[in-house]
Amino acid sequence: MIVAGQELRDHWLGGRALGLTLALSLLLSVVSYLVATNQALNYLEQRESVNLTLQVAVAVGALLALLAAADTISGERERGTLESLLVTPISRQQLVAGKLAAALSLWIGAFAVTVPYVWYLGRGIGVVSEALAAGLVVGTLVAVFLASLGVLISSVSRSNRVSLSVSLLLLLVLFAPTQFPTSAQQGWLGDFLLRVNPLTAGEHYIGKIVVDSHAWSHDASWLLSPVLGAAVFAAAAIAAARSISLHGGSRS
Amino acid sequence: MRRRLLLALVAVALALALVPVASAGEVVVGIDRTRVSTSLGRSFSFTTTVANRGTGPTGTLVAHLNILSLKPGLYVDPEDWSSDRTHYLHPIPPGGSRAVRWRVKAVNGGSLAAYVTVVPQSGAGTPATSRALRFDATSRKTLNSGGVLPIALGVPGGIALLALAVRVQRRRRGRRVRIRVV
Repeated sequence: MIVAGQELRDHWLGGRALGLTLALSLLLSVVSYLVATNQALNYLEQRESVNLTLQVAVAVGALLALLAAADTISGERERGTLESLLVTPISRQQLVAGKLAAALSLWIGAFAVTVPYVWYLGRGIGVVSEALAAGLVVGTLVAVFLASLGVLISSVSRSNRVSLSVSLLLLLVLFAPTQFPTSAQQGWLGDFLLRVNPLTAGEHYIGKIVVDSHAWSHDASWLLSPVLGAAVFAAAAIAAARSISLHGGSRS
Repeated sequence: MRRRLLLALVAVALALALVPVASAGEVVVGIDRTRVSTSLGRSFSFTTTVANRGTGPTGTLVAHLNILSLKPGLYVDPEDWSSDRTHYLHPIPPGGSRAVRWRVKAVNGGSLAAYVTVVPQSGAGTPATSRALRFDATSRKTLNSGGVLPIALGVPGGIALLALAVRVQRRRRGRRVRIRVV
């Protein structure tokens, strides 16, 4: 709790989180302006514009959480403050849990910024509450998964640069299936890759609810990998806290 | 023995061939309404009744919904309007009928028509078609770039102001700490 409070102050009062949230809001403003330039969108296009905005928000919000998490341990190590943190009377698991919670606050901030855009784009077609609820659930699962992954990488990285590079590379790999041609996505292997990847599965689920008006239970199987990814990686990040060393990397 | 079996099979085949089977021409498709007024984004449903006026049972029938624009310039993709456009109907006995309910969502504004065609699953014969259901979907301006401007400018502006306020506050605190130290 103490660690989370301190980290939250560092993120939000230090200005970094606000700067990143401002960048996200500018991106969402451009996206909303572009999709709203059509004077008479049809019903489906309006739903698709809500879906697009929500998916951008989930992807960027989760990216912000990942960036903040990738800096947690390796950043302290590089600034020479890890030693003093490790000797404080809190367990390493509490330290990691606090830092993880603070990293997730960037996703919460990103989601809060998204609300007015989704409200504007989705008003009149009865999709706002459902889209926001789906975005919050899926986005939180994806953010927990990515932030935990970032903390894990940060725990073992010798430098902050390595941690950030590896995290971003993994994020690109996770996003790669979205660029597959439609025919490749429809085969059993393409379908499997989309389902097993928490990012693509989560975004697919949001699309089904927002664009196709499916019930939450209809495509619930697509939520399996985001739920498992969030639970397994969060547990792994906290479990790996025991082996945090002052210098990072594998122990010799 | 084999010869008898073969003869029996031929006899059964002839008997089956002689049983009158209703052709698609004896199938009539009725519709419960011919006009609907709706608006963009709303759903409506209608029912068609596929009746067999022939003397023999029909085969399996395929009923298919189609939607078109009555005026040029409006692109209509029926898949967008109804997710369940094809129904496979079990054979209907002579004098019998089967009701099929169709659900349509208006995804464009304009004057449109929907009709249902019934074809035997064999693909042979003339399709039977219902009367057209004409529907006028009123469109509305859903979005405009001018309307989004207050949000597109206001949200980043608000966050920028907040960031500025936090920065000013931090500087003031820093100055106070320096004065105390001095």
